[in-house]
Amino acid sequence: MAFACGTMLVFIFLHRFVASDIQRRSDAWLSGEVEVLGDVAEQTPKNALYDRVVGEVAELASKEVPNKDSSAGASNDSVFFLQTGGDGSLLLWVGAGSGVPNLKAIQAGKIVPGSPSDLRVQGFEVPFRVASTRLNDGSYIHLGLSERDELRVLRSLWLRFVLLWLLLVFLGFNIVFFTTKRMLSHVQRMTEAASKIGHTDLSARVPITARKDEVGNLALTLNHMLDRIENSMHQLHTITDSLAHDLRSPLTAIRGKLEMSLSSGSQSDHSEQIVSAIEELDRLTDFLNKSLDVAEAKADALRLNRVPLDLNELLRVMIDLYEPSMSESGLQIRIHSGGPLLIEADAALIHRMIANLFDNELKHLPSACTVNLRLSVENNAASLLLEDDGPGFDPEVLPHLFERRIKREKSTGHGLGLAFVDAVVRAHGGTVAASNCEDGGARLEVIMPLFPVSTGRIVAS
Amino acid sequence: MRLLLVEDEIDIQSFLQRSLEEAGYQVEAASDGKTAERIAMEGLFDILIVDLGLPDQDGITLILKLRQLGVSAPVLILSARRSVDDRVCGLEQGGDDYLTKPFALAELLARLRNLLKRNSPAASESTRIRVLDLELDLLRREATRSGQVLQLTPQEFVLLEYLCRNAGRVVTRSMILDKVWGMRIQPDTNVVDVHIYRLRGKVDGQGQKPLIRTLRGVGYVLKDR
Repeated sequence: MAFACGTMLVFIFLHRFVASDIQRRSDAWLSGEVEVLGDVAEQTPKNALYDRVVGEVAELASKEVPNKDSSAGASNDSVFFLQTGGDGSLLLWVGAGSGVPNLKAIQAGKIVPGSPSDLRVQGFEVPFRVASTRLNDGSYIHLGLSERDELRVLRSLWLRFVLLWLLLVFLGFNIVFFTTKRMLSHVQRMTEAASKIGHTDLSARVPITARKDEVGNLALTLNHMLDRIENSMHQLHTITDSLAHDLRSPLTAIRGKLEMSLSSGSQSDHSEQIVSAIEELDRLTDFLNKSLDVAEAKADALRLNRVPLDLNELLRVMIDLYEPSMSESGLQIRIHSGGPLLIEADAALIHRMIANLFDNELKHLPSACTVNLRLSVENNAASLLLEDDGPGFDPEVLPHLFERRIKREKSTGHGLGLAFVDAVVRAHGGTVAASNCEDGGARLEVIMPLFPVSTGRIVAS
Repeated sequence: MRLLLVEDEIDIQSFLQRSLEEAGYQVEAASDGKTAERIAMEGLFDILIVDLGLPDQDGITLILKLRQLGVSAPVLILSARRSVDDRVCGLEQGGDDYLTKPFALAELLARLRNLLKRNSPAASESTRIRVLDLELDLLRREATRSGQVLQLTPQEFVLLEYLCRNAGRVVTRSMILDKVWGMRIQPDTNVVDVHIYRLRGKVDGQGQKPLIRTLRGVGYVLKDR
């Protein structure tokens, strides 16, 4: 845009310059000719030949008109010669037409002898440039040059300028467009590669071009950054793995010993304590697993083993598992689903995620409540809506629901349940939102990306 | 049954050895990969238990090496790592099953039995299971006790079938979740207990001898005597 305006300004300036130059040259010619004609008119005796001599000279002069269009031929209407007496009567006329309109125009306009000026004449489209001089006998000589030829030259120049300008702007636009497009396509490829890296694996790298420009440098810098991230991720995995290992080995030994003392037959009074110790130990193990999973997921470092998974089928199996416990607690659970719905996810993590959602309802809902599940495809994503008609979330807790260690009152869990749900869903590129329904119940909405190759739903037969 | 136990933690090794011997296995124990290789080449073993984190080499490397040396016995991998990748990796690379620490002894024993059964020539699969006066018709999906038909839901039948197949042996909650519902989860709630409670209400009628027994802190057992 700036380029187009800039070249346009340069061309306008050039045009102005050329126009004024042409004007100056034709003015110089006019002044020169009018002086010559004045001399001729003064020196020629005023007899019958006067008209012819001056007429011939004027005729000759008109043949050397600058910028003359050769195609105009003999019919010369671009120049006129006019001599007027001191009283303003027409003495001599050389040129096309009768010369009367020219005389009228000259008398109407203020023609100052010496400097040429513009003159509009009735019957002529283009104005004349007229130079005048005063003779010693009191008569005036006017030499007019039509600006037609000058304008024609300027017009053709203008046309050429406009064409050249269009060509320049077109070329410039194309060069800028294609260079930018090429540059941006590199950036686009890098963006695509980079966005994939976050969700799949960290070992992938941005494509590197052989070019030594800014984009090439950007790719290299990005890859260096990814190297560092992968390295710290690897360290995080090493830490969580060794932490898990160091805690699990003693837990295994303790649990084994407790189990042995329980089964060794000595029905001692301690069996009750041993049983509760084992149960505590199992809870501790579960807590350890969840904590590490949540920690890894918060750092976007959860390792996923993605497989195609039918959410509809999974939810029905889960409901089958949880329904007896729910009805024992006086709860009802219902599902509304339009049929199979495929996502690509880590089966073990999704199982545990759904179990956490159900455990959460089971632990917190008072009896006689209903849990409604709705599975659907919304905006090209799998949507699982979980609503109940219980007391809802505590408004104070609601904003911190997915943070670690938040638990509702009288909870028996360790407050990691919803943080774990959030962590797993995020690791799969989805979102969880919690709110309270208008009538007070709790509402959780889980959005997960659909299985990539299908549209998610298999056509229900 | 000869069993090779490769585990570097002395505490775990000793209690495993004792429990496995009580369960009727002849156990040889090794604390590192080198010793394990030597012992494995000296004698013929029916089954191996290999811990992934050995001091001198990776458990999976050891298993691959043993396979190359001609050891074809099934392997139960013990892992204290937490990622699924390792488990899958272990399974694909020749280990036959895996168990994450900490585990219940009952589950370890059940998995060992499964591996041995898988490796032995398949016994002709019966369509009927009998445990005392309880009888399951696997084709008609029907269970009877003392000739009386039990009104079971399909899910309850699968649960009862699993208990009957392991009659006399302890099954844990996570084993039931894995085999009956097909998921490895640890619910904070008593979902499995409620299923067992309902099933017991139907199987162990009034005046009948209770068959389904709860072993607190461990799991359940279906009595076979």
